[in-house]
Amino acid sequence: MDAALEVVGLTKAWPRGQPGRAFALDRLDLSVPRGSTYALVGPNGAGKTTFIKLLLGIARPTSGTVRLLGGSPDDARVRARLGYLPEKLHLPLAWTALEYLQSIARLKRATAPLLPLLERVGLPAHAHAALRTFSKGMRQRLGLAAALVGAPELLVLDEPTDGIDPLGRVEVRALLREERAKGTTVLLNSHLLAESEQVCDRVGILHLGRLVREGPLEALTRTAGYCLRFESPPAPELLTAHALTALDDGGYLFPGDDARALNATLAALLAKGCTLTALEPRSASLEQVLQEAVG
Amino acid sequence: MRALLAVAFDLLREARSRKWFLGLFAAVSLTLLGLSLFLRLEVVDGALSASRLFGSLLSADAQPADVALRPVFLTVAFLGYVLGAVFLVVACADFAPGLLSPGRIEQLLSLPVARWQLLCGTYLGLLSLAALAGGYGALGVVVLFGVKTGVWEWRLLWSAAFGVECFAVLAAAMLATATVVRSAAVSAGAALVLFVLGAIASAQKPIGEAIETPALRTLFGLAVAPLPRLGTLCIFACQVLEDRALDGRAALRLSAGALVFAFALLAFAVHRFERKDF
Repeated sequence: MDAALEVVGLTKAWPRGQPGRAFALDRLDLSVPRGSTYALVGPNGAGKTTFIKLLLGIARPTSGTVRLLGGSPDDARVRARLGYLPEKLHLPLAWTALEYLQSIARLKRATAPLLPLLERVGLPAHAHAALRTFSKGMRQRLGLAAALVGAPELLVLDEPTDGIDPLGRVEVRALLREERAKGTTVLLNSHLLAESEQVCDRVGILHLGRLVREGPLEALTRTAGYCLRFESPPAPELLTAHALTALDDGGYLFPGDDARALNATLAALLAKGCTLTALEPRSASLEQVLQEAVG
Repeated sequence: MRALLAVAFDLLREARSRKWFLGLFAAVSLTLLGLSLFLRLEVVDGALSASRLFGSLLSADAQPADVALRPVFLTVAFLGYVLGAVFLVVACADFAPGLLSPGRIEQLLSLPVARWQLLCGTYLGLLSLAALAGGYGALGVVVLFGVKTGVWEWRLLWSAAFGVECFAVLAAAMLATATVVRSAAVSAGAALVLFVLGAIASAQKPIGEAIETPALRTLFGLAVAPLPRLGTLCIFACQVLEDRALDGRAALRLSAGALVFAFALLAFAVHRFERKDF
């Protein structure tokens, strides 16, 4: 599997120690395939931002190795191929949006026109407005545009929708999907789990500096059983006979993943006049998976 | 080199929108404009016969124009050196802490720019700013008096160059301080303390002679030995305007010493910056 980023044994000790915890990151191994959209989730203090800083060479690891796009993050040629949106972006407020992007483009040696980027993040009308007049959400959108300068192969976004209104979040999600369609690898650090679920295909759960769960989103959220929905509620004796449990959302839980047993149950219910309207594999939300993973 | 220039250019662009620099530009421009409109210098056969400001007679003693204007140029050189250095330190104090501020430094470090380029580019930007400010003021004065009296005192640009060199030392001190403590006030304080110490170091001989205890005198000598002679540089900035020949070798030695000191501070700053986690 071709990895866009790969870390092995990545460890970062706290600079001055921390009661009860010696490491911000502890022997982390992680590989993100090219073209995937990867969500890094975890509670506050899990080490997500530290991980991103080590990944980009903003902080130095105590031990372990980082490979980004096949090279080292210390290599300027590698950094030229990535885009980054920090968690709390600090902008030069006297500049205009276009001047800011021009500055980033100069440092990245990117020559593509910048106005289309402002259009992509919904700020075309504000190209010549001073950044001091921008709301938090607009600044965040601009940060996103800055991360997209130079058409990066890897996008590292730390809380990209922070401060953006609900409609804006929809636009950001659409933009991330566009990037994924273009083959860009996206590493997303977000507290908004539902949002991560909508755009990411892989998830890593960090807790106390360790990767406690990792894999494709479907595999992580998949739980045993199927959810059955009927036109009208089946008789209680039928539910008892086939070990079906009523769920809060109006569906019925078929326990286990045995396809033969499922088919037999369905045949019996249909023979008794029940009309099946939906059959869904049972899955947990990312929030539930996170809760379960971090205890 | 391109990245270095890009960082320096960004600093200049940021300075352009700051009130400090807009104020400096306006103050220098208005002063020059005011003098050009309201200062009347009557020159007859190369001699300044009378000078009037806002119609009031300043002087009616006839003397050669270059001689009469020398105190003016010396005052400009001295004030430009001292006040210019202090002004630039205060006005530029938050550039380096701003560069290192959370949310900005992370983004800059993720770009294909080496850390030393970020720091040296900022330094280059600060020096360019000082050179532009000093050059604009000095050139304005030269042209103003040149047009009015025919005395073109181009040596004032040399004086400005000494001022820029002084600021080069102070700017390096500000950058080095910012890599240790990210505070504009502390950066400015460190530079101003160095400015004062540089003046004290320039008076090492008379101060040393005034210290009676030999051990203390030696200690004082050792303490000020590595410091750049910023006071002497100021004297050179004025002496360059006088007719008697400047001790070129001494000026070169002192200038080189100040630059070595500045580069040592810059090297320290780069060393700290290269190893710093953000």
